[in-house]
Amino acid sequence: MSTRSLRVTVALVLDTFREAFARKIFWAFFGCSTALILFFIFIMKIDVVQGAIATISLFGNTSRGQDVQKLVRQVHGAIAAFLFTAGMFLAVFASAGLIPAVFEPGRIELLLSKPVERYHILIGRYIGNVLVIAANIFYLVFAVWTVFGIKTGVWTPGFLWSSVLIVFIFAVLLTVVVLMGVLWESAVVATMVAFGIMIMSPILAQQTILERLLTSEWSRNVMRVMYYALPKVFDVGRIARSLVLGDPMGGWMPIWSSALFGVVILSAGLYIFSRRNY
Amino acid sequence: MSFAIETEGLVKIFRSRWSGKEVRAVDGITLSVEQGTTFGLLGPNGAGKTTFVKLLLSCAHATQGRATIFGRDAREAEARRPIGYLPENHRFPTYLTGRSMLDFYAALSGMDGAARRTRIPELLATVGLADWGNVRLGKYSKGMLQRVGLAQALMHSPTLLILDEPTDGVDPIGRRQIRDILHALEQQGVTIFVNSHLLGEVELFCRDVAIIHRGKVALEGKVKDLTAGAGYRLAVDYVPERLEQELRARATAVAQRNGSLEFLFGSREEANQAVDLLRAQYCEIEALTRTTSTLEDVFVRTVEDRQ
Repeated sequence: MSTRSLRVTVALVLDTFREAFARKIFWAFFGCSTALILFFIFIMKIDVVQGAIATISLFGNTSRGQDVQKLVRQVHGAIAAFLFTAGMFLAVFASAGLIPAVFEPGRIELLLSKPVERYHILIGRYIGNVLVIAANIFYLVFAVWTVFGIKTGVWTPGFLWSSVLIVFIFAVLLTVVVLMGVLWESAVVATMVAFGIMIMSPILAQQTILERLLTSEWSRNVMRVMYYALPKVFDVGRIARSLVLGDPMGGWMPIWSSALFGVVILSAGLYIFSRRNY
Repeated sequence: MSFAIETEGLVKIFRSRWSGKEVRAVDGITLSVEQGTTFGLLGPNGAGKTTFVKLLLSCAHATQGRATIFGRDAREAEARRPIGYLPENHRFPTYLTGRSMLDFYAALSGMDGAARRTRIPELLATVGLADWGNVRLGKYSKGMLQRVGLAQALMHSPTLLILDEPTDGVDPIGRRQIRDILHALEQQGVTIFVNSHLLGEVELFCRDVAIIHRGKVALEGKVKDLTAGAGYRLAVDYVPERLEQELRARATAVAQRNGSLEFLFGSREEANQAVDLLRAQYCEIEALTRTTSTLEDVFVRTVEDRQ
């Protein structure tokens, strides 16, 4: 990447951050994350004796005698599960407007009048949007991981890896927002389609059970195609949980097929954007 | 002769996604804009002016024909590097301050950080917004947005300035200020292409114009040529009745103005004959002037002829 090209990318990323700051998206996430981190720092008190928790105190209630490793992994798992479900919905909902905002009349003409390729504008904005969410997720996960590490002496890396997977799935879902944004220039439509995919994911993940329930081969094929074609939010969440709990990960298919989906959808978005008249 | 903008048979057809209905917004425009000139693009609403500008900037893709900027295909991103552009109805992000907006768009134009830091205060001062650099654009008035928009277009020292309604919403003092800035740029050899419906502004500022009507170039030329040579105006204080009737028959128009009688003659010969007749009867001639059409006259005539 040339210096000029890098300068343009940095400008687009910074502009996305500025817009996220102005829309309070960044600060809302940051505030929630900080509240959770402070909760773990000040409210939860843990005494560890010889690898086991002697006491754990939460809002004055004390329990005893738990395996410290197990407890830490469970808390990590709960946070990862929250980020994969509610957190993901919030992230898509909050940032869906950042992409279609670029296509507003009076704004897009000025961007296109600059000596920058169209794909560069969209990719710069996409990267900026991913980084806004990634900054918050990494902040929360890393801080919680550090707090628990200091309090319990347990430093399992699985939780950190799960944050990478959370950002990855967000990046995949954001490609849908990009495509819908380019096609319809509407944050509402983009959010609805991304939510639809997220809701479909746990249903399609039960494909072996569903296949037994479906009567025709045609409907079974439709379901298989949908399962393999759409991003596997639920399955990647399961992989993240396995990483956190230290269980075997299973296959890589949910990750690479979701990545492939993201690449195809983003390419389609870039292609349509390059052909559109503004 | 070298040209800043050249188009050849440029066509843009918009097709409705659902009904398939076609609109020829630009219909075979061939136009050349000399380097260093001030060029005004005129036309009634919906004539295709903005679409034409968008084709130059590759905001829209031409259906047929070609456009070049300083000899380079307008579709290439690099062709836009020498261009500074101020769009009509711009919507600068209101979360940006004047300073950060200039910084952002200049970075997209390829300026490095040091050059941007030097240029921003200079330009804010030039457009009279030196004290407003750190204020969010949401707090700017329309005229201020227009001025900061002009600063944005000038950030990377472009050699071609494309301005879409540059004085729209600007008060008379601001308008004068913008005109002065543009005159200074003209002196530096910057080509200025103005798309405007304010004919008085264009007449005051531009050297060349083209009038677009229904997507085609209806008239093109130098402003001084288009507005010159319409006739001769002869003002007389008193004319005997018989002679007045004779002159009325020869004149193309007669008007009573400020106590004088004004006759308009279509040619120099007719004007001279009238002077001879008046002087033969010792009439006092108040004034004899060559009349010119305003650009508005030219515009209205051109558009009406094409209706």
